[in-house]
Amino acid sequence: MSFATRTWTRMSIPERLLAIFVPLAVVLAIATVLAIVLLGPPLLDFLGANLPLVRFLVAVTAILLMTVPTAFVIIYMELKVIARMNLRIGPNRVGPWGAAMSLIHGFKVLSKEDFAPTGADLPVFTLAPVVTYMASVMTLLVIPFAPGLFGQDLNIGVLFFFAMGGMSVLGLLMAGWSSFNKYSLLGGLRSAAQIISYEIPLTLSAVGVVILAGTMSMNHIVLSQSGSALDWFIFKQPLAALIFFIAATAEANRTPFDMTEADSELVAGFATEYSGMRFGFFFFAEYVNVFIVSALITTLFFGGWTAPFNWPWPYNLNGLDLSNGTLWIGIAFLVFVLGTDVLALLVRFFGGRSWNMPSAMVLGFIFTLVAVVGVVGLAGFIAFDWIQGLFWFMVKTYAFVFVFVWMRGTLPRVRVDQLMSFAWKWLLPASLLNLFVTAAAVVLLSQ
Amino acid sequence: MNYVPGLGIAKGMALTLRRFFAPKATIQYPETAPDQAVRFRGRLQLLYDELGNVKCETCFQCAQACPVECIDMGGHDTKNRFYTHWGPAETYAERREESALRRSGRPVPDPEYIHFDPIDMVAAEEILEARDYDPRPMVGLLEEIQRAYGYLPVAVIKHVSHVTGAPYALVYGTATYYRHLRFEKPGRTVAVCRCTGCLIAGGGRIAKDLAAALHTEIGQSPAGKVALEELPAHIPGAASPLVTLNGKPQPNVTAAGAAAWGRSLAGKTVA
Repeated sequence: MSFATRTWTRMSIPERLLAIFVPLAVVLAIATVLAIVLLGPPLLDFLGANLPLVRFLVAVTAILLMTVPTAFVIIYMELKVIARMNLRIGPNRVGPWGAAMSLIHGFKVLSKEDFAPTGADLPVFTLAPVVTYMASVMTLLVIPFAPGLFGQDLNIGVLFFFAMGGMSVLGLLMAGWSSFNKYSLLGGLRSAAQIISYEIPLTLSAVGVVILAGTMSMNHIVLSQSGSALDWFIFKQPLAALIFFIAATAEANRTPFDMTEADSELVAGFATEYSGMRFGFFFFAEYVNVFIVSALITTLFFGGWTAPFNWPWPYNLNGLDLSNGTLWIGIAFLVFVLGTDVLALLVRFFGGRSWNMPSAMVLGFIFTLVAVVGVVGLAGFIAFDWIQGLFWFMVKTYAFVFVFVWMRGTLPRVRVDQLMSFAWKWLLPASLLNLFVTAAAVVLLSQ
Repeated sequence: MNYVPGLGIAKGMALTLRRFFAPKATIQYPETAPDQAVRFRGRLQLLYDELGNVKCETCFQCAQACPVECIDMGGHDTKNRFYTHWGPAETYAERREESALRRSGRPVPDPEYIHFDPIDMVAAEEILEARDYDPRPMVGLLEEIQRAYGYLPVAVIKHVSHVTGAPYALVYGTATYYRHLRFEKPGRTVAVCRCTGCLIAGGGRIAKDLAAALHTEIGQSPAGKVALEELPAHIPGAASPLVTLNGKPQPNVTAAGAAAWGRSLAGKTVA
């Protein structure tokens, strides 16, 4: 028996893991450094030569990564808000105030068995959730989150958005058809009928905004609303905004138009045969859709990332002098140490004897962290216009997300014939009328 | 026209928004204990053992502790010797009788409450006065009371508890713990000596005959009947076999005549 085997048999499991992973980590680190040194300059040159491609890849990755936490936040928000509306407290076990609830939901979905029914068209069955989810994610590419913070500024942004939104119908139909289950197929057809019906008033109501802005680029639509809240298109196109909101509710399959899922009637409709993470994709896509629809309402009618009033300060702090790095690190260190100590003493002073010094220090550190993040965030808010824009955009968007959740907590589901007759008999004529009046007004005023 | 389109939706949305901000009544139980009285003990319930007997030992501690005196306890003690009662004062029984009287127009006798017949408290008061109402030498106090009354009337025990401040459960517990303290009026006690001399002279057969005649066993003494006991020691100078009635030797009782004597004794009423 050699020295190596003897040593290996005598090691415990954690020691063996360390013995494997520490050398591996060292090798990987050296390889990374070598790769950066050797391949870095040519790679940078290549990337610099293809900047639009880089921008596209980065944007797609960032948006794909962004959708999952967004869905988590909206799911948690829905649990909590509807609970409060039902006079309950809602999730409060995992994480602070139950904030990790949707994360746990995600893990639960991941850990479930993933099966396909016998006779299912497996490639289509597998692709359907991907198509639905990607359709949702792609629409986010053209939404301007803040000045300079968008995936692509397409000059046909609105058209792209509706095209991608229409693709989600394809995913639903694929799911319904490939499940080899007549009820799934019926559910898929039903949701396709609903979404296609509501797509028409949705698009027609957005055309009014496009006429007023004179462009289909989302960025330019936002810019044409800049100024104060009075310049928003909601005041020029109130009927269109209402139609858009109603139709968007149906597009996102939200109550009262959630015929697609109708948990209590249809057993999830097209998604009946789906389990595990495949169902999770549909589920996530629904909540991403809520975010997207809210973001679109914000962009088209509520001024996007513009502030609701004329912001008094010019952005004169863009960029700080960070040349003296050591000094800044020292200042940050000093702020944290002093802040922790002072706040810990304050906690001891005001909190009474129940706080011993270690726990007071921990609390003081948390307070310091909150204060520093707040101060830095505020400074960034004042200094950088994209932080400010993102702030206003998110505030408006989540206000509409709240409205969607609020509606789900209030309104009962409509019947399928009511759904259809409402779309074709009311929303479509109303949106045509709105389009006609808008076009006529533009023609008359321009003469 | 009463129908306004969208009014119902607006009302519903307003309702849910009000609910959203309304305070929630949920109590997070393991973290937050519900607000309840310190002496709250849950639902009052009598428990039964697996044989169907009430597990209550009539110790009165629950009635003693009850802050609002809502526990009204009465019953025979575990040895089935006497009836006792603890409740919102003795007025409970009176009130019940008054109420029955009012309804029927005539008094309804309740044999369970004989023990609450009025008892002359003068003797007990004198004893307590002499002891300065001190409940601490409890056994001596109860012995003195028993000497004065011949037994410990329940009414006197309650009186002792009331005037000395000792919990009734304590007084009652002391009175039931010691064998020489009794709650019933002394009836006739037949005692049989079982020393070697008496046994040789037929004491064993006498004891068996008396037990059969008196429908009892040695050592058991049901209230108001003739009790059969064992003499702790032979009385010096008395003839064997020795049988005593209320402590007095009965030289006429022999092994042959014991059964007849016992039957005649059982037939007589308690004095």
